[in-house]
Amino acid sequence: QSMTSSISPAQTAAWRKQILEQLSERSKREIDRFKHYEQAVEQSVWVKKGMM
Amino acid sequence: MADDKDVLRDVWFGRIPTCFTLYQDEVTEREAEPFYLLLPRVSYLTLVTDKVKKHFLKVMKAEDVEEIWFEYEGTPLKWHYPIGLLVDLHASNTSLPWSITVHFKNFPERDLLHCLSSSVIEAHFMSSIKEADALKHKSQVINDMQKKDHKQLWMGLQNDKFDQFWAMNRKLMEYPTEEGGFRYIPFRIYLTMSDRPFIQKLFRPISPDGHAHTLGDLLKEVCPMAINNDDESRRYQVVIHGIEPLLETPLQWLSEHLSHPDNFLHISVIPAPSD
Repeated sequence: QSMTSSISPAQTAAWRKQILEQLSERSKREIDRFKHYEQAVEQSVWVKKGMM
Repeated sequence: MADDKDVLRDVWFGRIPTCFTLYQDEVTEREAEPFYLLLPRVSYLTLVTDKVKKHFLKVMKAEDVEEIWFEYEGTPLKWHYPIGLLVDLHASNTSLPWSITVHFKNFPERDLLHCLSSSVIEAHFMSSIKEADALKHKSQVINDMQKKDHKQLWMGLQNDKFDQFWAMNRKLMEYPTEEGGFRYIPFRIYLTMSDRPFIQKLFRPISPDGHAHTLGDLLKEVCPMAINNDDESRRYQVVIHGIEPLLETPLQWLSEHLSHPDNFLHISVIPAPSD
């Protein structure tokens, strides 16, 4: 019944590793160089932590 | 090692650095400076651009201002598509920041829906979620929720509150273990080179013989051109949230983790760069 039941934590299938790597590259490409930009939606302290 | 919750978080906190410039023919009282903003990929243009509007209204007379709309390189941007989808579809492989032109006149009636208040966006968002749940659970989950639960989904998106949104959205992502997935996967495939707005068909996450369908299986069935190679060279990129998942990625996992908050998997098929 859980969201993650379709995949075991130990599973490191190529497709999954590739998604994690690409998301990390996406963050470097789209966010890291532009952290000085203003956020469109005002952020709470918690959300700011989540961005790191 | 990151786990699946991190994927949900990465998807939610995706941002597009954007430079807004006022259209050259707009009448202003003084020069309008460009405005820079980080836009949430999972939100909607007209929901997150109050600051942009305010910025440009400072240099304009009220009588010169009609409904705001946005354009990228001549293409009016559909506010009812998630921002990340607009970027994947129209501006993949271009340099950042994303450069958007802001208009206050000559609203393109044939291309865009009007959006005069956030309640229009809310209605659109909730109808997408309801459609997705009709496909996933015959509407049983969304109908079992109360009005305040629906509001929580919307407010979570509107205020960029990951926990608030996912506390409710997780219910929309559940399924009976013995079935191995949703009834049908809510997906839309967009092709820039087609007049058709998108492809949407009934497709199950599990094959009749019990195998998990993959992204490749879906494309082969409903959009084979996306994966057909021409003389070994790749003709199209298949992009979701700015990344290109492998074709062997299970579709059920994609639906649970890479769907937008509207619960649809928005898949862009775009021409691959020629170099």
